[in-house]
Amino acid sequence: MSNPMEMRERKGLTRIDRRGRREDIFSITCLLASGIAVVILVTLLSTIVARGAGSLNTQFLMGVHLENQPEMSGISQALVGSLVLLLICGAVALPIGIGTAVYLEEFSTSNRWLQRWRGLVQLNINNLAGIPSIVYGILGVTAFVYMFGMFKPIQVNQVPQFEVGANYFYQLKTLELPELDIPGQFVYFPASDPDLAFRTITEPIDVYDRQGLKLKLNVLDPDQPLPNVASQLTTSVMRGTVASRFVRFNRGHFHLPLGRSILAAGLTLALVILPVVIIVSQQAIRSVPDSLRDAALGLGATRWQMVYRTVLPTALPGIMTGAILSMSRAIGEAAPVIAVMGGVLATSRNLATMMDSSPSLPSTIYKWSLHHHIAYDRLAAAAIIVLLVTLLLMNLIAILIRHFYEKRLELL
Amino acid sequence: MALQEIGLTSSEMAVPRYTLRSSAWARRRQRVVIGGLILCTSVTLLTTIGTIAVLAYESSGFFFNNEIELKAFFTGTTWTIGKTQGPVDYGILPLLLGTFRVAAIALAFAIPIGLLCAIYLSEYAPTRVRAVLKPILEILAGIPTVVLGFFAVSFLNPHILNQLADFRPFNAMSAGLAVGILCLPLVTSLIEDALHAVPQNLRDAASGLGATRFEMIYRAIIPSAASGIIAAILLSLARATGETMIVAVAAGSIPTMTLDPREPSQTMTGFIVETINSETIGPGSLGYDSIYAIAAILFLVTLGLSLLGQLVHRRYREVAR
Repeated sequence: MSNPMEMRERKGLTRIDRRGRREDIFSITCLLASGIAVVILVTLLSTIVARGAGSLNTQFLMGVHLENQPEMSGISQALVGSLVLLLICGAVALPIGIGTAVYLEEFSTSNRWLQRWRGLVQLNINNLAGIPSIVYGILGVTAFVYMFGMFKPIQVNQVPQFEVGANYFYQLKTLELPELDIPGQFVYFPASDPDLAFRTITEPIDVYDRQGLKLKLNVLDPDQPLPNVASQLTTSVMRGTVASRFVRFNRGHFHLPLGRSILAAGLTLALVILPVVIIVSQQAIRSVPDSLRDAALGLGATRWQMVYRTVLPTALPGIMTGAILSMSRAIGEAAPVIAVMGGVLATSRNLATMMDSSPSLPSTIYKWSLHHHIAYDRLAAAAIIVLLVTLLLMNLIAILIRHFYEKRLELL
Repeated sequence: MALQEIGLTSSEMAVPRYTLRSSAWARRRQRVVIGGLILCTSVTLLTTIGTIAVLAYESSGFFFNNEIELKAFFTGTTWTIGKTQGPVDYGILPLLLGTFRVAAIALAFAIPIGLLCAIYLSEYAPTRVRAVLKPILEILAGIPTVVLGFFAVSFLNPHILNQLADFRPFNAMSAGLAVGILCLPLVTSLIEDALHAVPQNLRDAASGLGATRFEMIYRAIIPSAASGIIAAILLSLARATGETMIVAVAAGSIPTMTLDPREPSQTMTGFIVETINSETIGPGSLGYDSIYAIAAILFLVTLGLSLLGQLVHRRYREVAR
């Protein structure tokens, strides 16, 4: 097989050549490995766009999930849910996170105890960032949904132990006599004891109709023949009619424990991103030059005046960038939301109060990609496109702020 | 007045809007503010304490349940909680093995590619390529995990894996690869940091001795960055173990006691997500308590891995200095 020419070449291959060839092979392997990252990203994005772009239309953005009607289903409730979650999460995590960062960077040097506290908190933050988000989800379920069992658990058709913003009524329908041209109507009367799910009507009481007009409810005896006077027959019921409890929630409806509500999910999400908010805010505060601090202190400011008047305004763009980036982490986080509110699909738009639950965009993607009806696959892809575009926009804003910020810090 | 006469409006006058004075009032206010800030910091501590307390208390309800034999829990090879009615098997090994299988596939994918990618970025890449490659890795790192799960079931599995072999619809391989994609940017950036921390004089010495770049990397840089690379492996292992949404979507819901990557592979996190939403398993039941037991184990494993990773990380930093 081996001809003499080849043999000579192989022998003639110097050590230097071999080393050079090895070097070439290695550098090309490295380049190829880096190329894999690019290939993955391109494949990921192109598959998702190819699969989902066709479903992106107004029906998709305005609709809700409809079982077995994938072409009519949409993500409107999921979008609202994600937005509300983000607002709750931001309103809780940002002030606490920035406050913690300010404390750790600016206030912990004055005495030994404060320094120790700082060391403890700092160590803790580094470890919190490594806890899987599903563990936070379990914490959220225990601490917010059931509140450590301090209150009676929320159950269907039962009044929570502590509740505000809920008006309980009893609802019943008055006698309907088409032959006498008397239409029945729903009337309501306030519940004095909301724990009772039903009440039996035995004697005349004051009721209210849908428009809120006060009426007198006549009670007729089932054994007696009906009276002939029409006025006695309108708004009347038979004795022994059962009125069922009916509840209307105000905007400010709130109960304890929080139950599987969007508030509980938002608070859980806030715990998830709190370490991230703290770490990025610390970086922003650290990048403020010390000359500014010295100048403020030299003018006779207290430390808080220094922080409030000079450090925070200077660090604000950096903090905002970090805040947007941590919010973009929160928006894609699915596990804690699913653990707290359950992975349900919205079949109607029903997020009226903080005590309602609502799917978020990632939890909708989760449910749709596991749906037995294969057509929901395309909807999941379309929802992913919406999610990724949102993330892209948020990151773009963060990059713009950072760009502006770097210019301003150079001027200082 | 005079300023306005020369055409300056009052907003352009250099009038301080506030005073910086360490008055008694300001000092008192500062004390209140510091109190408020300490309250803020305590939230993170309370989170940790709360997590540990909840996991310890609730999982003790499982571990000290009379129906539970600890030996059967740690050595049993079938897990049927939440799968069948009536008496159940509660051996955790299938769930642990499922977690391990997915994590092993993920690391087998992410570590070699991440290492080569990091070497390329830190030793070979021209500035222009770096300027493209770094943001691409950042975008990859920012993709929500549920999206990667979707990618695994709707692309990796039908279009790649099933062309090669007969994979089940939900399997360990597709989930593992997706977790690997998740870990890739993390591994790359951690290893790149470790490579950057290698002192320049080592590189100079190696090239001075006539080493090629490959020899320099292989003989000098990688050995001195070894602890950083180990830290990266540990941290990404922690990440892969705790990853939830990818496995919940792609790994299936059957705990299996096998090493076959074609089979479904429910992990600890996957079981938690499935059970916590279950209509039939409510607080007080054995199934519900088992979530906390598994979460406690998950917490210990991930915390241990990330603590170890941080320790190694800090160590190599000191050595590098």
